[in-house]
Amino acid sequence: MTQVSPSVGLNPASRGRLKIERRVNPKASWTFSMYILATVVGLGLTALLLLTSGADVIKAFSALFNGAFGSQKAILATLAKSTPLILTGLATVVAFRAQVWSIGQEGQVYSGAMGAYFGCLIFAGLPAWLYISLVVLSGMIGGALLGGLAAYLKDRFDVNEIISTVMMNYLIVFLLSYLLGGGPWTEVSTTVVYQQTGPVPSASELPHILGSSKLHLGFILALVSAVICYILLEKTPLGYEIRAMGFNPIALAYRGTNIGRTVILVMAISGAIAGLAGVSEIFGTSHRLRADTLYGLGYTGIIIGMIGGLRPLGTVVAGIVFGGLASGALYMKLLAQVPAALVPAMQGILLLTFLCAGVAARYKLVRVNTDG
Amino acid sequence: MTTILKAVNLTKRFPGVIANEDVNFELKAGEVHCLFGENGAGKSTLSSCLFGFYQPEGGHIEIEGEIANFKSPRDAIKMGVGMVHQHFVLVSEFTVLENIVVGTHDAGWQLNLPKARARVVNICQEYGIDLDLDAHIRDLAVGQQQWVEILKALYLDAKVLILDEPSAVLTPEEAERLFRIMDHMRELGLSILLISHKMVEVMKSDRVTVLRKGKVVGTVTPADVTPQELTRMMVGRDVELRMVRDQASNLSETPQQVLHVENVSYRDDRGKLALDDVNLHIGKGEILGLAGVSGSGQKELFEILAGVLVSDSGKVSLDGEQIQGLPSRQYMDRGVGMVPDDRFREGLIPEFTIRENMILGWQRHNDYTNGMFLDHKQIGTIADGLIDEFQIVAPSGATPVNHLSGGNAQKVILAREFVHSSKLLLANQPTRGLDLGVIEYVYKQIIAKREEGYAVLLASEELEDLLNLSDRIAVMSGGRITGIVDPQTTTIEEIGLLMAGSEREMTA
Repeated sequence: MTQVSPSVGLNPASRGRLKIERRVNPKASWTFSMYILATVVGLGLTALLLLTSGADVIKAFSALFNGAFGSQKAILATLAKSTPLILTGLATVVAFRAQVWSIGQEGQVYSGAMGAYFGCLIFAGLPAWLYISLVVLSGMIGGALLGGLAAYLKDRFDVNEIISTVMMNYLIVFLLSYLLGGGPWTEVSTTVVYQQTGPVPSASELPHILGSSKLHLGFILALVSAVICYILLEKTPLGYEIRAMGFNPIALAYRGTNIGRTVILVMAISGAIAGLAGVSEIFGTSHRLRADTLYGLGYTGIIIGMIGGLRPLGTVVAGIVFGGLASGALYMKLLAQVPAALVPAMQGILLLTFLCAGVAARYKLVRVNTDG
Repeated sequence: MTTILKAVNLTKRFPGVIANEDVNFELKAGEVHCLFGENGAGKSTLSSCLFGFYQPEGGHIEIEGEIANFKSPRDAIKMGVGMVHQHFVLVSEFTVLENIVVGTHDAGWQLNLPKARARVVNICQEYGIDLDLDAHIRDLAVGQQQWVEILKALYLDAKVLILDEPSAVLTPEEAERLFRIMDHMRELGLSILLISHKMVEVMKSDRVTVLRKGKVVGTVTPADVTPQELTRMMVGRDVELRMVRDQASNLSETPQQVLHVENVSYRDDRGKLALDDVNLHIGKGEILGLAGVSGSGQKELFEILAGVLVSDSGKVSLDGEQIQGLPSRQYMDRGVGMVPDDRFREGLIPEFTIRENMILGWQRHNDYTNGMFLDHKQIGTIADGLIDEFQIVAPSGATPVNHLSGGNAQKVILAREFVHSSKLLLANQPTRGLDLGVIEYVYKQIIAKREEGYAVLLASEELEDLLNLSDRIAVMSGGRITGIVDPQTTTIEEIGLLMAGSEREMTA
C-alpha cells in the first residue's frame, strides 16, 4: 500500500501563493459558513434567473419568504409541505449511507400510500387509535415490500438497484393508475372517472396539530423518524453495518456480515420511511388516494437527503427549507408574476451550490511560502 | 559524475505532520540511488515531490543545476523524470503498446501506432526488456505489468527513473531480472531512484540515503557499511529479525490436529481451477508456512479457510468438526482469526475510527452491545486497551485508520483478530509492505500465538522468514500443494523448484 495522504488529487490545480488543502477534521463553523455562502450564491443565481424572466427580484424574494416563513400560518403550512419531503429525504439517507443507490423512494411513496389505503379499507371499524396505527403500519409495510423486492432482486440475481428501483417507480404508477381508473379502487359515486378514490374514512385521517388546518400528525412522525434514523445509524450494530457497508463492503463481508441480508434490511427500512411519506400525504393532506399529489416527492427526497449531507438532522433542515420553497412559490407566483416553474429551477440551483459547499467544507485555503 | 537531480532543503507538511523536513539529497547521473526508510519516514512524499505530484512548502528541486518548479507530474515528465508507482495506472482492456502510447504528449489527435511501435521495440532491445507489445494488460502477470509502466517512462525519454518499491509485487526471479536490467540501464546512463526497505536491494545500489521521521539521517555507500549499521540508521535502534525458534516445540508429540483440509478444489469466476485437490493439516501449536509465487491459489485457500469462499468440493474441518459450507460468521465464532493480505480493502473500514475497526465483525457481540445499542463506552475502553497493548501509534482511538501508517493499520487488524480468535490464525502476507521494526513485532506476536497453542497458517513472500518461523512449509504452485518440506532440512533451491511447479512426494 502507498501511504494514504490527505491531499491527493488536488495538487495540480493549485497555483500561486494560495493552495487548497484537505482538512483532517472539518470545523463545524467552517462547514456552517460554507453552507451560508452556498445559500447566498444560490439566491444570487436565482436572482439572475428571475431577472431574465423579467420579474421584480426584490418583490419576488420577499413574496417567497413571506409565503414560506412570514407568519405563523405560513410556517405551519411550510412544515406541512416539508413533512413528506423530510421522510423521503430520510429514506434516501438510510439507503445512500449504505451506498445502496436506490432511486425507488418515488415508487415507495406510492406503494406506501396504496398499502395504507388498503389498510384503511380492511381495518375500518376498529377503535380510533388502533385504526390509525394500523393504517400507518400498513403504509410502511407497503413501502418496505417494494424496497425489499428491489433488494431481493439485487441479492438473488445481482440486479442493479438503480435500474430495478427506477423501473418499479414506473410499474407502481401504472398499477395505481389501473386501480383508480376503472379498477376496484375507482371512486364510485360519480359518473366521470377522476383517477382518484373516494374520501378516506374520517377516522383514518391523521389529526391536525397545533390548531393548524394544514399541519398534521405526519410532521411529528417525520421528526420521530429522523430521531430513530439517527439512533439507528449511530448507536446500533445494524447502523454500524450500514455505515461500514457504505465505506467498504468487502471488509465487512470478510468479517462475517451477510451483505445480502443487510442490503435487504436497508432497502426495507428505507422503503418503510418513504411509504410513511405516502401515508402522511394521503391521510394528512389530500384525504383521498390520488396520484398527482404524490408525484415527485420521492425524487425531491433524494435532493433533500443529499443537501442534508446524508444526515438525519441535516435532512430535517433541508426538508423544511424545501417545504418553504414549495409553500412560498405560490405567493411568489401570485404576487410577483413569476412562473411557478422557476421554483424547481431554484431547487436545482440550490442543490448544486449545496453540493459544492459540502465538498468545499472538507478543504481549506492555505498560504504557501514558495521561494521558487 | 554530474548531479542530475537535487533536492535542496525540501520541506513538505501535511495537516498535523511534517512529512519531509529540510531534505537535501543528490542523484548523480548513471547511479542507482536507494531511498531507504521505514513506512512513514517520508520516502513516498519525497519521491512525490520530485515527481511534481506534491509541491514542497520550502526548499526547491534542481534538475541539472537549474531550479525546477514542478506544478504537476506533467512538468516533471517534460524535464525527464519518470516514476513507476506501486499501484499501476494501466487500462486493462488495452494492449501493452496502446497503454504506452495513449496519453503521451505527442499522441495528439491521431495515434501513429506503427511509428510508436518501432520506438518501443527499439527501447526494449536497448535495455533488454522482453515483452509482447500486443498482449492485453489483463492477461499479463503483475511483474510484466510493471515493465509496461517502466516502458511508459522510458518512452517519454526519462533520464531519471523513480521506482517505488518495485520488487514488492515480484517473485524472487522477476526481482533478480529487474535488478539485472537496472544495472544495464545505469550503464547506459540512466539514473535510478529506488525506494525500498529490502536490505538485499539496498546493498545492491550505488548509494543509499536513509530517511527517518521525514529527515535525512545520512547518505552512505553500501560497500562502506554493514546491513546492521544501515538498519540502525533507519530505525534508530537495533532490530533482531531472526526469531529463535523453540526447538522443543511440541511437534514431536504428534500434536492434536486443529485444521484438516481434504481434497479441496475451487474454480474461480473465470473458470480457472484456482485450487486443485488441496490437502493439508495444521496441529495445535504449529506454524504451517505457505510459500508460492503470488496467484498460485494462496488467496483462495485463505478465503475458503475463513469461510469467505465456499469450495466446490472437498472437506474443511476444525477440531474434528466439519465446517465447510458454513458462513464466515460461524468460522469466526469457532475461533478462526484472519489477517488478509490486502489490509485496507479486506481487513479494515478505512474511514472508520480505530475503535470502530477493533470490533469489525463483532459489532453484535455481547461485549460491545448494551441491549439493542452499541456500548460505545465499553468499545472505547477495550479498544484503547488494545491500542496500548499493541503499541499502535495514533493521536487517539477516534483517529480514522486511513490516517495511520501501514504498520499501525496492520496492528489494528492483528489486535482485533488475536483477541477474538482462539484456535486458528490465518495470516496471509502479514508483513507485506511493513518496515523492519513492525515486521519484527508481527512475527513475535505470531510466535506468541503459537506458544498459546494456536494453529497458524502463515503465507509470506519472504522465504527466509518462512524458513525461520515455520514448523513445516507447504509450497503451492498453480493451485496445487506441490510439496510440504521441513525447514530444518530443506533448501531455498528445493522450495524454488516446488514453487515453479515440480511435484514432490508428500512427506508430511
